[in-house]
Amino acid sequence: MLFDSLKMTFRDVKIQKDPDCELCGEHPTVTELIDYEAFCDIPMPSYEKEDIDEAAFSMDVQELEEILKSGKEVVLVDVRDPNEWDICHIDGAKLMPVGEFDKYIPELNPEDEILLYCYKGVRSMNALKKLHAEGFTKLKSVTGGIDRWAEIVDTSMPRY
Amino acid sequence: MKLTNEEINRYARHLTLPEVGMAGQLKFKAAKILLIGAGGLGSPLGMYLGAAGIGKLGIVDFDVVDSSNLQRQIAHRVADVGRPKVESIKATILAGNPEIEVEIHDTRLSRDNVLELFNGYDLVVDGSDNFETRYLVNDAAFFTKKPLVYGSIFKFQGQITVFNPHEGGPCYRCLYASPPPAALVPS
Repeated sequence: MLFDSLKMTFRDVKIQKDPDCELCGEHPTVTELIDYEAFCDIPMPSYEKEDIDEAAFSMDVQELEEILKSGKEVVLVDVRDPNEWDICHIDGAKLMPVGEFDKYIPELNPEDEILLYCYKGVRSMNALKKLHAEGFTKLKSVTGGIDRWAEIVDTSMPRY
Repeated sequence: MKLTNEEINRYARHLTLPEVGMAGQLKFKAAKILLIGAGGLGSPLGMYLGAAGIGKLGIVDFDVVDSSNLQRQIAHRVADVGRPKVESIKATILAGNPEIEVEIHDTRLSRDNVLELFNGYDLVVDGSDNFETRYLVNDAAFFTKKPLVYGSIFKFQGQITVFNPHEGGPCYRCLYASPPPAALVPS
């Protein structure tokens, strides 16, 4: 049964047994418990598979703090969703949600140094790879994201 | 097995329902149900099943209560923050119904402990929050021949079903043969 609490709808769906099921089908291949962490570690099929040296494109929150304090010209991009931005964000950042990142790419200049952050650092690295694939090179993703920033740089910032 | 006079009083509204009645309530009392997870799904599940008089409730969870849990994980209260979730939910369930047995397992479910754990129960209810556990629970329920009640949520949507492949129905793998890419899984 499927339930959608925004539409207030309940829907019954009939699920059939799959004769080719690897566990309960006619010719099972899973005959004992397996390594479930390995089984669930499925890589992304798209651009995010692009192999870049992530360490070379990362900075920690202390480095970010120094750069922002120094007054150096950088473009700070927040790739989280607008509702996350409303909870907290870093002063001077621009909101460019990763879900519609393509729309924002034309607003960015490859000549600028672009620093990206999200909540924990995963989405910002994905956005970085997208920019890298578009020919941008002066890029850094903030390791640990705004959560790390709130933990050790701006401790007055709320964490969520 | 019989109900005490106290239990007859407590479960009077079940006993007068023909669909439950004395026979149904005695089945509840004899039942041993294992809940996977004491979070958003496990909280109401444990509280309702405990109140309804399930004889033995097992609960597995390795996590501790965080203040961000309280908005939905209603078995846990402010005073429980920092406490293991299994201890917190056990106290809540027994406060509502001390007649039942609550067995807690403060451990991460794994390949090494799952089969033995499932063998001690009649039915497994999966309220876990990650795909590794979903597949582990599905496979272990199949190998131990336990019916599996499956519930999951994402934002405003929920799914619920019963997987009982030994009775001719599908299992979780029939529905989802493989998990989504790890990078797409919301935390």
